[in-house]
Amino acid sequence: MCDSCGCDLKPDHTHDSKMIEVHQSLLAANSAMAEKNRAHFDSSGTVVINMISSPGSGKTTLLEKTIEAVGSSIRIGVIEGDIETERDAERIRAKGVPVIQLTTGGACHLDAAQIHKGLHLLEKEKGGDQLDILFIENVGNLVCPATFDLGEHHRMVLVSVPEGPDKPAKYPKAFHSSGLFIISKTDLLPYFDFPVNDATADALRLNPKLRVIPLSATSGDGFDRWLDYLQDICRKH
Amino acid sequence: MHELSLVQNLLQQLHELAEEHRKTRVLTVYMCIGPFSGVVIDSFEFGFETLAKESQLTSEAVLIIENPDAGYRCCGCNTVIKHKHKQKTDQCPNCSETLLIPEGGDELILSRVEME
Ligand SMILES: Nc1nc2c(ncn2[C@@H]2O[C@H](COP(=O)(O)OP(=O)(O)OP(=O)(O)O)[C@@H](O)[C@H]2O)c(=O)[nH]1
Ligand SMILES: [Mg+2]
Ligand SMILES: [Zn+2]
Repeated sequence: MCDSCGCDLKPDHTHDSKMIEVHQSLLAANSAMAEKNRAHFDSSGTVVINMISSPGSGKTTLLEKTIEAVGSSIRIGVIEGDIETERDAERIRAKGVPVIQLTTGGACHLDAAQIHKGLHLLEKEKGGDQLDILFIENVGNLVCPATFDLGEHHRMVLVSVPEGPDKPAKYPKAFHSSGLFIISKTDLLPYFDFPVNDATADALRLNPKLRVIPLSATSGDGFDRWLDYLQDICRKH
Repeated sequence: MHELSLVQNLLQQLHELAEEHRKTRVLTVYMCIGPFSGVVIDSFEFGFETLAKESQLTSEAVLIIENPDAGYRCCGCNTVIKHKHKQKTDQCPNCSETLLIPEGGDELILSRVEME
């Protein structure tokens, strides 16, 4: 019996088939939600930065030091994305700024729908509805998050010195889609073979519009350029 | 492995299309996946093979992936240089400019579906 219509004809008989033209991105639903998020952030005057890097490149540490450095001059909020645990949110909360943790329960990236939920949760936190900059710390992963627009205004990619200088060449998508490339943990340059100029040139070859800032969160080296960048995007918004 | 969640999006979309067009079986799925889409085609195909089996609608569907060339626009002379693969030359063959900006190639598109 044919199991598509239940008829008693031979199994190899054909049914009327139809070609349906679709021409729609698989990311259409995500993009639509991302646009909604962006409109929401625009109406509250918040600049949103999506941080992408491998696990352990120093995203949370950079945020901790940045919050300390700007004090009350820039109102910062954070959405933390991790596969499991509240740890990163606890570290940020200890710095006294509004933060919420999204756990993806296994998924390797945040998507726009999660951020939509997150931004409403964040607004319920004290000060969470009046932010100059919202940082979204994406799940530690240099590949998958790059495909998903969250509704951010700026995307930045971090590579730490111990990871090696070949990351732009190996993970081009994150560099294509970002506006800022942070080379982190530069205090470790004496111990690793990481030619900053080569990594910078590779990244610029992929994306000539990238801004590149080498910095160390522990020594504070390069931090002035990072803070200038933040002031700059706040002013231009 | 975000390919798996993208395959889930695709299957969801196929179910919606089948309902809309009152069809019970997907025969062929045509996708266009660009070199800068951030999608590994092998993983996408593997995910499709695995997940499509789980539903009668898609259990015998064939996935056909079109893979367009990568393009770069030269900042010097505005020529678009096409490449078969992701590897790009460092210079514009036209004017020797080295500032080449990727253009397009981030397609992740469900082009058409054959259903019965
Ligand atoms: N030497 C040095 N170590 C750093 C620096 N920044 C961060 N680290 C260390 O790197 C490790 C990881 O830092 P995190 O800030 O937790 O990294 P992350 O990117 O948030 O990690 P995930 O959220 O797990 O992806 C910690 O042990 C930090 O102390 C730096 O500038 N220099
Ligand atoms: Mg972290
Ligand atoms: Zn040229």
